[in-house]
Amino acid sequence: MNPVFNMDAATLSPVALFLQADVVVKVVMAGLLVASIWTWTLIVAFWRRLGRIRKGMARFERDFWKAEDIDAFYKAEADQDLPSAKVFAAGVKEWRRSTAGGSIDKGGTRERLATAMGAAAAGEIDRISDKLNILATIGSVAPFVGLFGTVWGIMRSFTGIAQAQNSSLAVVAPGIAEALFATAIGLFAAIPAVIAYNRFSHGVNRIEAALGRFADGFHTTLSRQLDSGR
Amino acid sequence: MDRAEKIGLGVAVVGHVVLLGLLSVGFLATPNPAKLQQTPMEVSLVKDVALEATAPQAVTPPAQSRAPDTGEPEDAAPPAAAEPEPAAEPEPAPPEPKPAPPKPQPRPEPKPEPKPAPAKPQPKPKPAPVKPKPEPKPKPEAAEQPAKPTPKPSKPAAKPRAEAKPADRPAPSKPAAKPQAAARPAAKAGRGSDEASKAERPRGSRLGSDFLKGLTSEASTSTSPAPKAAKIDARAMAGIEDAIKRQIQPCADRQATTGMPGANSIVSVLNLRLNQDGSLAATPRMVRQTGVTDENDRYKQRVIDLGIAALKACSPLKLPAEYYSTPTGGWNNINFHWTIR
Repeated sequence: MNPVFNMDAATLSPVALFLQADVVVKVVMAGLLVASIWTWTLIVAFWRRLGRIRKGMARFERDFWKAEDIDAFYKAEADQDLPSAKVFAAGVKEWRRSTAGGSIDKGGTRERLATAMGAAAAGEIDRISDKLNILATIGSVAPFVGLFGTVWGIMRSFTGIAQAQNSSLAVVAPGIAEALFATAIGLFAAIPAVIAYNRFSHGVNRIEAALGRFADGFHTTLSRQLDSGR
Repeated sequence: MDRAEKIGLGVAVVGHVVLLGLLSVGFLATPNPAKLQQTPMEVSLVKDVALEATAPQAVTPPAQSRAPDTGEPEDAAPPAAAEPEPAAEPEPAPPEPKPAPPKPQPRPEPKPEPKPAPAKPQPKPKPAPVKPKPEPKPKPEAAEQPAKPTPKPSKPAAKPRAEAKPADRPAPSKPAAKPQAAARPAAKAGRGSDEASKAERPRGSRLGSDFLKGLTSEASTSTSPAPKAAKIDARAMAGIEDAIKRQIQPCADRQATTGMPGANSIVSVLNLRLNQDGSLAATPRMVRQTGVTDENDRYKQRVIDLGIAALKACSPLKLPAEYYSTPTGGWNNINFHWTIR
C-alpha cells in the first residue's frame, strides 16, 4: 500500500469515483453520505443516551427502594434527568395535590396517580425514542436512493457507449463502477441504520417496560400509604 | 440537538473522513489493479471469399428467337473484358467444321490447333466445297487474308444455320470448348458482329410457326463456361500464412525464448520475398510491430531476429504453386505475422 492519494478509478478511491460521476449521481452520493453521517450520529447518540438512562434508572430504583423517607428522597433526587425520576416526580406531585384537601377520595386518587405516572412515562419514552424513526427511514430508503443513482449512472454509461460507437470494457467499466458506487454508499448507510434501529427500538422497549414496572411499584407504595390512614 | 447528538455527530464525521481517507490512499484497492487495456487482435476484412474466376461471368441471356435473327451468332461479351470473348466464341467454333465434314475436315482440323494465328482461315473451309485446291496456299498466309470470306456469299446457307444451332444449345459444346479456350486467339472475336458476315446471312425465316416451343423469355440459368483462373484472396492468403507458420514451427520450437517476459504479445509483420521453390529470395523485412509495451520493449528486435532465423532455418517452404503469383498477389511477396510462442 503506497501512501499516494490515489485518483485512479481502477482503484477503489471514492474521491475519484465521486468526481467522475454525473451530476445526478453526485447529488445522490452526497445525499447518501449525509444520511450515513446522520445515521452514525444517531447511533452514537442513542448508544450513549440509552446506556446512560439504563444505568441511571437502575441506580435510581435501587436508591428509591432503599430510601426511608420518600419526601426526603424526592427533595434530593427528583430533579435528575431520568425517566424514572420524572415518573417519580409526577407521582409525588399528584399525591401531594390529591392529599392536600381535607377529604380524600381514595379511588379517585389512585386513578389520578396511575394516570399521572403513565402520562409521565409515555412522555419520557416519546422523548427517548425521538429520531429513532430517522434510522428506520434511512434504513429502508437509502438502498433505493442508491439504486436510483446506479440506474442513472448505468443509463449514462450506455449513452456513452452509443456516442463512442465502442462497447469495449474500457469504455463501459468506469461509468458502471461509479454508478455502482452509489448503491454501495446507499447500502453503507442503510445497513448500520437497520441494525441500529432494531437494536435501539429493543432498548427503548426495555426502558419502557422498566419504567412501567417502576411506576407500578411506586403506585403500589402510594396506594398502600393511602389505605394505611395518613 | 442535545449533547449526546453533538458527540455522535463529531464521531460520525471523524469516522467517515478516516474511512474516506483510507479508501483514497488505496487501503482496499487491489494490490495491482488490472489495467483495462485492449489486447491487440488481428482482424482481416475479407472482401472477396474463396477462389474466383478472373473472367467476369458474362451471363447474357440467350438470344430470343425472332425470325429474322435466328441466324445471328451470339455476339461476344462486351469488349470491356478481353477474355470473355474467347470464352464465348469457342462454343460455336467446334461445330463449324461439322456442316462440311466430307470435304474440308481433314485439312483445317490439324492446322487451327497447333497454330492459334491461322484461326482466321476457318471461314475458308466453307468455300472449300467450291474450289478445294487453293486452300493449301492461303492457309499459311492466313493472317493477311481476313477479307477473303466476303467474296463467297453464294453458299453460306449451311454456315449460319450451323452457328445458330449452337447458340440455342450451348450446353453440349461446353466440355469440348474448355480445353481449347486458351489456344483460341482473341482475333476471332469480331467475327459474329462483322458487318459482312451479317450481310451474307439469309433474311427469310425458315422456321416453322412453332419455333418458340419450349423457349421462355426468361434469362437462361446456364452459367458461363468461362475458364476458372487461380486468384488469391484474403482467405487463401491466410491459409498460406498458416502453412508458413506450421512449417517453421519446428524451427521456432528449437529456439530459446524463455526469460523474455511479455515478448509473446509482440506481433511482428514480416515481409517475405520467396522464390518459386519456396526458398527465401531476400532476408525478411519487418513491416510493423504491434503489442509492444513498456515491459517487452527491449525484446522487440530479438523477436524479429528469432522470426527471421526460424524462417531461414526451415525454408524452403512448401506452398501451393498455383498461388505463387496471381493477378491479385501471391506468396512471392507475402506479409507474415510472426509471434514467438
